[in-house]
Order: sequence, then structure tokens, then C-alpha cells
Amino acid sequence: MCGYGNQNILSLYLDHNYTEFLGTTPTYTESELVMMLKGRDNQSFSYLYNNYSAALYTIVQQIIPDQELANDVLQEVFINIWRKIESYDQSKGRLFTWMLNIARNASIDFLRSKAYQNSKKNQQFPETQELDIARHSTQLNTDNIGLKKILLKLKAESRVLIDLAYFKGYTHEEIAEIEEIPLGTVKTRIRTALIQLREHLK
Amino acid sequence: MNIKEYISSGIVESYVLGLADATEKAEFESMCIAHDEVRIARNEFEILLEQLAFSNLNKPPEELQGRIFAEIETEISKSSSRVIPFSKNINTEEQADKAVKYLRMMRLAVAASLILFIASAILNLYFFNRSKNYLALYNNLVASQQQMAASNKVLEARLQIFQNDLAILKDPQLTIVKLPGTNVPTSPARNSLATVYWNQGNKEVYLLVNNMPQPAPGKQYQLWALVDGKPVDAGVFDTGTESSFVKMKNIPNAQAFAITLENTGGSSSPTMEQMYVLGNVKT
Repeated sequence: MCGYGNQNILSLYLDHNYTEFLGTTPTYTESELVMMLKGRDNQSFSYLYNNYSAALYTIVQQIIPDQELANDVLQEVFINIWRKIESYDQSKGRLFTWMLNIARNASIDFLRSKAYQNSKKNQQFPETQELDIARHSTQLNTDNIGLKKILLKLKAESRVLIDLAYFKGYTHEEIAEIEEIPLGTVKTRIRTALIQLREHLK
Repeated sequence: MNIKEYISSGIVESYVLGLADATEKAEFESMCIAHDEVRIARNEFEILLEQLAFSNLNKPPEELQGRIFAEIETEISKSSSRVIPFSKNINTEEQADKAVKYLRMMRLAVAASLILFIASAILNLYFFNRSKNYLALYNNLVASQQQMAASNKVLEARLQIFQNDLAILKDPQLTIVKLPGTNVPTSPARNSLATVYWNQGNKEVYLLVNNMPQPAPGKQYQLWALVDGKPVDAGVFDTGTESSFVKMKNIPNAQAFAITLENTGGSSSPTMEQMYVLGNVKT
């Protein structure tokens, strides 16, 4: 009995090494993954990258369409995840939601940074044509995927507000100024748009 | 607002998408803790969003993974290289800490001993003063005790006298003879009064001066017993003596007693003009 039990443990151990040897990554539950990430486990971070980088990259690209710049931002996103994983609180939401918000915030921070604003200005000048060409060649159209695709189903009025709030990162006050509508109206319209958004998601 | 209305107000989407402001966020988080329905609604929307994100995937370029992992490697080595000097700092800080602690302890010890010294000095002074007070009190006590002992002796003496007087008075053989000045028409002081206590058993005679003038210098009162019409000397006495009764000479027999003023030492026969008081023995 005793020998049999030990053999079982041994075979489990071998199985684990075997799968590693083959290079197939095991699947973790979200809680397991979070625990391993918080334990600074390198393998769990590889797993995280393999499973989530594409989804996060798409989110970044919806805000920063330029591929080179989106690459930089995605790098920033993963470094932020690595740095901040300690502060992730599972009771406040799913891991993906947390990473999604890191990705969105990093993208918007970049979007609103002086460096990005300057590069956009530079685009208009002929002397930076070299950069400009590189950018044009790698520009991706992300308007017809993900949340942006759902947005297309909303009324134009609602779509503009969500675009400004979610994809451009403007505050409600800033939107009220841009759109020249009262702050209260901005808030109600965004709420209404979000409710419609969920309906379309279903 | 009930929970269903709250859930369908758009707050769930606003929170998950990161569009809620700080107040809304805090409120939503506490609602999630308080109400399972809110948490379930949040989770549902999160899953919807996650499914949407995974429905269209743009893979990042292959080389990006290497770049990101290299960056994280330097991040790790930076943080671990930061650890070494930091731990050194901790060591020196620890030593400094120890020195500071030691100094603090020494300071505390000095302060404590100073406080003890001052306290003991104060206590010494206090007890010294108290002992001084006690010594004064003790001396007072001794003095008053001596005073009391002295007055006790006086009282004892007086009590002895009174006891003797009482013994005289208690004797059933005693005869009291009042000698008023009114009995003598020629008395120089008719308001004078004396009393003779005569014990007819043992023949002793005691005299009490109730009221008699102070005799002139060189003069002395003399008591006479009248036995069958003849005066018999019963002794001289001074007024103002402390003793209440003055013991006179024994008289075996008498019908009356009288007092005259004579030259000091007394006379063999009374000076009739100087008779002050007289009293008959009642039979």
C-alpha cells in the first residue's frame, strides 16, 4: 500500500517533468496563476505572456494604432503587470480585467504624453518622412474588431462619448467641454451608452 | 434605489471599464462586498468583455517577447543588485541603531539614578524633619508627663489631707462646736467664725477657721477650752494655712471654746478684751 502510494507521487512528478520536457504548458486556474505570479515565478509569467499578450496587444492597438508604438506600450504593460502584481486584489475583479485596465491606462498615458503629441505633429512635417513611412506601413485597422465593433452598433451620439471616454481617456469634464454639453448630460449619456453596449455584447 | 436598479444603472460596466470616478468606485466595491448579485453581475460583464477581447486576436511580433523578457530580467537584476548595498546599509544602520539604543539606555540610567538620588535626598530631609518634630513632641510629652506627675503628687497630698479630714469627720464621737463672733459683744470682729471639731472619744481637737481677720505682726490667735469656768490653753494657730483642719492640743473635757488674739507664742491666760469668738459645747 505504502509503496503503491509513493509510486503514484513519483509518477505525478515524472508526468510534470515530462510535460515540461515536451514544451507543452499546463493550464492553470486564474487563482493558481495569480499565486504563482505573486511568487515571482518566471514560468507563470511566460504562461501569462503566451495566453494574454495577443488580447492585450489588440486593446493597445485600438488606442495606439501605430504598431511600433503599440509594441513599446505592450512592453510597458507587461513590465507594469510584473511590478504591480503584488497589488492585484482578486476580490475586486478578474485578472484579465485588471490587466486590461493596465493596458488601457498605459495606452492612454502614452496617447496623452508629450512624446506622442510631438510625434503626431512631426508627422505633418516632411523632414520626418522616414519615420512616417515606417509608421504607415505598419498601421493596423482595429476599428472593426472587439469593443470598437460593438460601438459601431450604437447611435453616433453615444459612440462619440464612449470613444472619447474609453479610447481617448478624457474625463467627463473634458468631454463636456469638447462636446459643449452639460456635465450631467455627459454622465447620463455615457451610462445609457454602457447599458446599450452590454446588451449588444450579449 | 434597490439592488436591481443599481446593477442595471450602468455602474457595473462603468466600473469594469475603468470609467467610474473614485466615489463611484468605492461605492461599487462596498456594494460588491455587501451584495452577491452585484458581484455576480460584475463577473458576468467581465467574462463578456474577456470573451470579446479573445474573439479577435492580433498577435504581437515574435521578437517582442524576447525584448519584454530581457527588460524584466534587467528589472530583476536591478532590484536584486539594489538589495546588496541596501542590506549593507541595514548592517551599519543596525550598528548605529544599537549605539543609539545603548546611548539612550545610558541616558536613561543616568536620569534614573539622578531621580533616585534626588528622591532619596528629599526623603532624607523629610524624615529628618519628621524625626525632629517627633523629638520635640517627645520632649513636650516628657515635660507634660513630669508636670502631671508633679500635680499628681500635689493632688495626692491634698487627697491625703481630705482623707484625714474625712476620717476626722466620720468619727461618730465627734462634736462640732461653732464659734461665732456674735457670741462676743466686745469682739473686735463680730463677723468672725471658727469651728471646733472635738472628738470626745480620743480627746483630739481640730480647728477650722471659717472667717477671721489676718492678725497683726507679732500677734497670734490662741484657742482656749473653758473647763468649769476656767480657760485651758488649747494651742496657738496661724490663719491662712493650707490645711483645712488645724490640730490643736487634746482636751479631755470642756463646756465651751473661745479664741483670743495674743502675742506670738500664746499666753498663759487669755486677754479678755481680745476675745474674737466663743461657742458652747451642746450637751
